[in-house]
Amino acid sequence: MADLSFPFVSASIAFPVMAACLAFSSERWARLAGVAGSSASALCALECLREVQAAGGARLGELSTLGIFAADPLNATFLVLYSFLTLGILILAPRRDTSSKITGTTLLLLAATLAAYGADNLMILAAAWTLSALPFILGPFTGTWRPRAGLAASCVAIFGALGIIARAAHDGGAHNPFSLAELQGHNFGGSAAFALLIVAIVCRKGIFPAHAWIEDAAEAGPVLPVCLFINGHLGAFLLARVVIPDFPLSAQGAFPILSDLALFTALYAAVRAVAETKARRILSLLVLSQSACILAGLESATPEGITGALIHCMVVAVATTGLFSVLRLMEVRFGRSFTADHYLGLSEYTPRLAVFFAVCGLSLVGLPGTLGFCSEDLLIHGTLVSHPQVGLLLPLATAMNAVSLFRLFSKMFLGTQRTGIHGVGDAIPRERWVLAAIAVFIVVAGVTPSAAVALRRNAAQALNATLSPSTSVAENR
Amino acid sequence: MSLTQSVLFAVVLAPGVIFALFSVLWLLGWNAPERVLTRATAITYSIATVAVAWLAWSVYSGGGATIAVPLGDWFTVHDYHFPLVLLGDGLSLPFLALTVILVGLIGQFSATYLHRDPGFARFYILLHLFAFGAMLIFSAGSFDLVIGGWELVGITSVLLISFFHYRQGPVDSALRVFIVYRACDIGIITAAFVLHHMAHSSSFAEGMPHLVDGDATIVGLLLLLSAAGKSAQVPFSGWLPRAMEGPTPSSAIFYGAISVHAGAYLLLRAQPIILESPFATAAVILIGLLTAAQGSMIGRTCADAKTSLAYASLAQVGLVFVEIGLGWTWIPVMHILGHAMVRTLQFLRAPSMLHDYHQVHAAAGGHIGKTGKHYESFIPQGLQLWLYRMAIDRGHLDTIMERAFLQPLMQTSRFLARLDRIGLSTARAPEKKTAEIHAVAAHNERVIDG
Repeated sequence: MADLSFPFVSASIAFPVMAACLAFSSERWARLAGVAGSSASALCALECLREVQAAGGARLGELSTLGIFAADPLNATFLVLYSFLTLGILILAPRRDTSSKITGTTLLLLAATLAAYGADNLMILAAAWTLSALPFILGPFTGTWRPRAGLAASCVAIFGALGIIARAAHDGGAHNPFSLAELQGHNFGGSAAFALLIVAIVCRKGIFPAHAWIEDAAEAGPVLPVCLFINGHLGAFLLARVVIPDFPLSAQGAFPILSDLALFTALYAAVRAVAETKARRILSLLVLSQSACILAGLESATPEGITGALIHCMVVAVATTGLFSVLRLMEVRFGRSFTADHYLGLSEYTPRLAVFFAVCGLSLVGLPGTLGFCSEDLLIHGTLVSHPQVGLLLPLATAMNAVSLFRLFSKMFLGTQRTGIHGVGDAIPRERWVLAAIAVFIVVAGVTPSAAVALRRNAAQALNATLSPSTSVAENR
Repeated sequence: MSLTQSVLFAVVLAPGVIFALFSVLWLLGWNAPERVLTRATAITYSIATVAVAWLAWSVYSGGGATIAVPLGDWFTVHDYHFPLVLLGDGLSLPFLALTVILVGLIGQFSATYLHRDPGFARFYILLHLFAFGAMLIFSAGSFDLVIGGWELVGITSVLLISFFHYRQGPVDSALRVFIVYRACDIGIITAAFVLHHMAHSSSFAEGMPHLVDGDATIVGLLLLLSAAGKSAQVPFSGWLPRAMEGPTPSSAIFYGAISVHAGAYLLLRAQPIILESPFATAAVILIGLLTAAQGSMIGRTCADAKTSLAYASLAQVGLVFVEIGLGWTWIPVMHILGHAMVRTLQFLRAPSMLHDYHQVHAAAGGHIGKTGKHYESFIPQGLQLWLYRMAIDRGHLDTIMERAFLQPLMQTSRFLARLDRIGLSTARAPEKKTAEIHAVAAHNERVIDG
């Protein structure tokens, strides 16, 4: 395995850690340290992606002898996307959400998530997985007991799987029992390890019946860090990085069931959102529903479905970051938690925030001209080929999500105008530029989706090759 | 790319470019003056009208040869590709001409009608997006691309219904219309995927994919679902009177002309598939007949001009559906063109209806008395009363839809919410907190509002 020209993955993790130390030490400079740290991280991730692309989608190591981090088409895009999302959130977050504690912990969340993406070693991945969840289990982002329980269960499950896999690999004569490269295709740990990994994914991703923690976290916790945490999509990443390559046979056997479970979650969350009134819960249910579609796509074992799922990851991450950000900015401006009980007519005061909310929302539910349309198209087509019931019911879930989203938009921004609101401004420049960047990404990538498809093609091909070698050979020809 | 291909491409793209330009400028903080918006609209659609006329002449003089503009694949994954191909043929060009002419006219009409309205720029921006969506539908060479235009027309329709968003009524209506649109759009989306699955292509640029009877029935019925939703056919016609909450110019172009006929266009385009299946054909005719009867009946009991016109429009579109089901092509096209023009005029004159009424009577030299000779006078008294009650409740369709679908869905959703809260005793605190915040906020609002 060739090496990156510079340890960019480590650097992209180290910068946020250093920035977190600075942020913890100074309340005044917390936001600046956060922006600088996440910018540096984003630049390193970008360079890493460029080198991976230049290498034709090959897996590039980082100080190969250590075997700690590596970059490939699957994780390089996630590294870039996540660091930019964190940067955006740190720039636009309202002042009350940028205390040294919140900013520092957000930066540690970034570092841990990037470490999970970049890990070339199951031990590192499990440790990063747990570290990223710790702020939501122990604090400062704790809410009710369900997020703590769900995330703790996912951490226990992944370490349980790690123990079983390591022991089996050791017994099987593996040189490094934690190396992802060595584990590939060997099915070390068998059904027990596979089942524990699936439990970890189900708990982390909020797949039914472990779905309720996401709603609770969004409602009771700080909304922007929760949004960032959910949008790491580490559950889907674990499936793509570890479960599919290491347990291809078990995965093929279990995927029809998992696919149905993901579909059920997508429909369940969509139906739940229809009558929900709390804005934060509605958005979290939409994220849940759309995220479940990602799993359904990965489990379709078709090139279209897998590519669609990987692009949908980007769409969900970017669009829901935009939605949660606008919601938070509105909450701060109007000093309330929003519900969809009655019309507020706030577009009169914040027309641009209303437009950004609409653009992000429409992208999430696949409006043409946004990247969501391309990802939904590929997802539905891919799942229709492999699991027709999933392919036929996903548009139903998406349609219900669209209705819930439009209902929330209407209640917040349209309807009878509130009187007696003074001095409330529309998006200020730092908010406007971040939200404009999100909107531009959604629309430009939506108008020219082939760039996004090309970005995810190599990763999708690799996953597809593991799941259905015959299709992949035909494709390569 | 030949000249005709370039012109077709430019005509379809122009409204999209204008929309993007004005939207970006607005987002950057520039509110375009009314004159700039109206002139840009007038120039764009005047040129587009001439261009479409020239395209029509080229096709006619070329013996009816189709203009196809292959733009490659939008994206490709493995053996799945999303073809971008525009089509200018005997079916699409009349609809393109109708769109550019009517959008241009509506643009001119609205310059006066919406003068100094706070939403003036928003109306024009949405009008261009609508035009772009409609042009995509009518010039698309594949069902995939039709979906693109279809969704854009749907969303602009909904946003224009809620144009007067400072009143609750229009926003409520927009939400109801959006629900029907999204539910029915599932049909065309699934049909496109089923076509990919069964015929390995959803493109009709080189002829409609051939399907066997069973497959044709599935695809035909799915397309009919979407067409019925967009054209407000039975049982989805309940949304049409709600859509009249929007400004009159948008009602005219959407529900008198373009949008309401988009469903009919879809069926005309997919006619070869529908005619392959006797069941789908019968369904098209039946739905058309039911809608025509329903539109005619309800239109007689409407108290306001726009709703009455909406139902009259619906009755005509129902007849168009019947014509399509009977396998005719040119009769429904001519019917649509004539109907769209007349209905647009009627809608635009609706705000002046009383004035027109008095003028007609004055021109006749006095009040014109009622004849009372309507066909309903031949119906027995008891049946008349029953039909009247049904017409007043708009065929009970909204009630049926609400009881059959909406209420069970809401009940299921609330039941699932209760399930989700099981064992959440410790999580009650934030909910209570939120409720308290709302109570305080509501109290403050009441105090502020006086």
